[in-house]
Amino acid sequence: MGSAYREWADIYGQSHMSARSVHPPQEAALLPHKLRNVRALWVVLSIMALLACCALLFARGSLRLSEDWQSQLSDTLTVQVLLEDIQDWEPQTSLARETLGEVFPGADIDVLPQAQARELLQPWLGNTSLPDSLAVPGLITLTGPDLNQATAQKALEAAGLRVNIDDNTRYADELGRTARRFVSIGYVTLLLMLIAGLSVNIFATRAGLIAQKDIIRVLVQVGASDKFIARLFIRQALRRGLIGAAMGVCIAFLLWLGLSLLGGWGELVWTTLSAGLVDTLWLVGLGCVFALICAAAAGVTTIRQLAFERRRL
Amino acid sequence: MPNTGLHTDIISFRNVGLRYGRGPEILSDINLTLPQGSFSFLTGPSGAGKSTLLKLCYLSLIPSRGLIRMFGKDSALLTNAERQAIKRRIGVVLQDFHLIEHLSVYENVALPLRVAGQSRATYHTDLVELLDWVGLGHRLDAYPPTLSGGEKQRCAIARAVIAKPDLLIADEPTGNVDPEIGRRLLRLFSEMNRMGTTILIATHDTHLIDELDAWVLRIENGQIFTGKAI
Repeated sequence: MGSAYREWADIYGQSHMSARSVHPPQEAALLPHKLRNVRALWVVLSIMALLACCALLFARGSLRLSEDWQSQLSDTLTVQVLLEDIQDWEPQTSLARETLGEVFPGADIDVLPQAQARELLQPWLGNTSLPDSLAVPGLITLTGPDLNQATAQKALEAAGLRVNIDDNTRYADELGRTARRFVSIGYVTLLLMLIAGLSVNIFATRAGLIAQKDIIRVLVQVGASDKFIARLFIRQALRRGLIGAAMGVCIAFLLWLGLSLLGGWGELVWTTLSAGLVDTLWLVGLGCVFALICAAAAGVTTIRQLAFERRRL
Repeated sequence: MPNTGLHTDIISFRNVGLRYGRGPEILSDINLTLPQGSFSFLTGPSGAGKSTLLKLCYLSLIPSRGLIRMFGKDSALLTNAERQAIKRRIGVVLQDFHLIEHLSVYENVALPLRVAGQSRATYHTDLVELLDWVGLGHRLDAYPPTLSGGEKQRCAIARAVIAKPDLLIADEPTGNVDPEIGRRLLRLFSEMNRMGTTILIATHDTHLIDELDAWVLRIENGQIFTGKAI
């Protein structure tokens, strides 16, 4: 081509034909960066990303809390030593303690003092003072690994004791079911937020295609393929998604950090719910997924819309 | 234009008709052939359908009936990829220029090459030469809203010719430029034609038509008549 122009320059006597020795300028973006209302779109996307992050942290926190509680409960046995006479309290609880000590040598065994056992019973029997002769059951708590309800029951009965043993299974199962519901709610909310993000991007891409139809018409005229045009919109949506996701993730992280520092839920709750390093990585991953969803929505929408417009010709 | 049979036809229309929606036919039974390497003017009164015929030629419209063959292929059977590949072989200069406003003159002219996947280093020198030649060498970094009508016209022409198209279609290319620039542009088109590019120019300008010994396609009442310039 250059030689052709030089040839034409000779024909027409043009003397300024030589190309200037300047470096090629940086390639400009074919779609403008500064679109009207783009900030409003960032805000919408960042709110969606924030809600998605909160849903994720809520689900993960609920799961972790439930697992923590269940783990603590699974390491505990509560033994009630049933008595005929209050005079038997001391010898029978001591016997139970010794027996359990032999069966589970590594376990911590705590016998609740009789006075505290009476206090525990008080709310169940009304405000009247309990008679001194009432045979309050002896309460023994075992904490340790590998505790087994059946083994304890067998050993204590062999020692001639009448006992009720609770291994907290029922409570732990109920806790697990409740936690699973919370986790499900969290993940469903997360999914809904991602679908909402997808929909917003489809809408934004369609609006972008309409707003930039003059540019697209020129691109189509010079032979740009649908994929070429889609790549432009994918890049634009990816940028938009990354900005929105970064804003949402940062706000979610700060919010979670603030709640963690404020505490108020008790140490157990906040240490398990608060965002740690793994959660932070999850948040970053979610932000990337959010941005990729934005880009994919833009790409598919552009391809479909261009095909639709072609059919309308 | 009569087909000499010596060249491959770039464009061939057979009984082509076009109507918008359910309206009357704007073009009726158009039979037309543009052989490779031909130079043709398309003329006719305003509203006769010149721009519509050009749109059919650069595949921006699909005919309501009839057969159009482009570069030997039936346009109705083209896949999207083939259609875009053919469009890359056509340079188009439109009356309203169709420049992208947020891109500089340089970027606008480079557009067909970017779309074709060429790297900047491969075309930078040629592009600057071309812009120098059309008198826009000092306006490389200017944006279309700051250009005069004539400058926009030359920018659009530079964009149309930068990729060395096999077919150049221009709608009133000299409408906004002074006579001297108009003559230079016509010489550019003539030179491109000499190097093998098929040229089709729609114009009202009879002086322009008289400058060259080219085929004249006259369109009137939706019909086309062919002849040589007098």
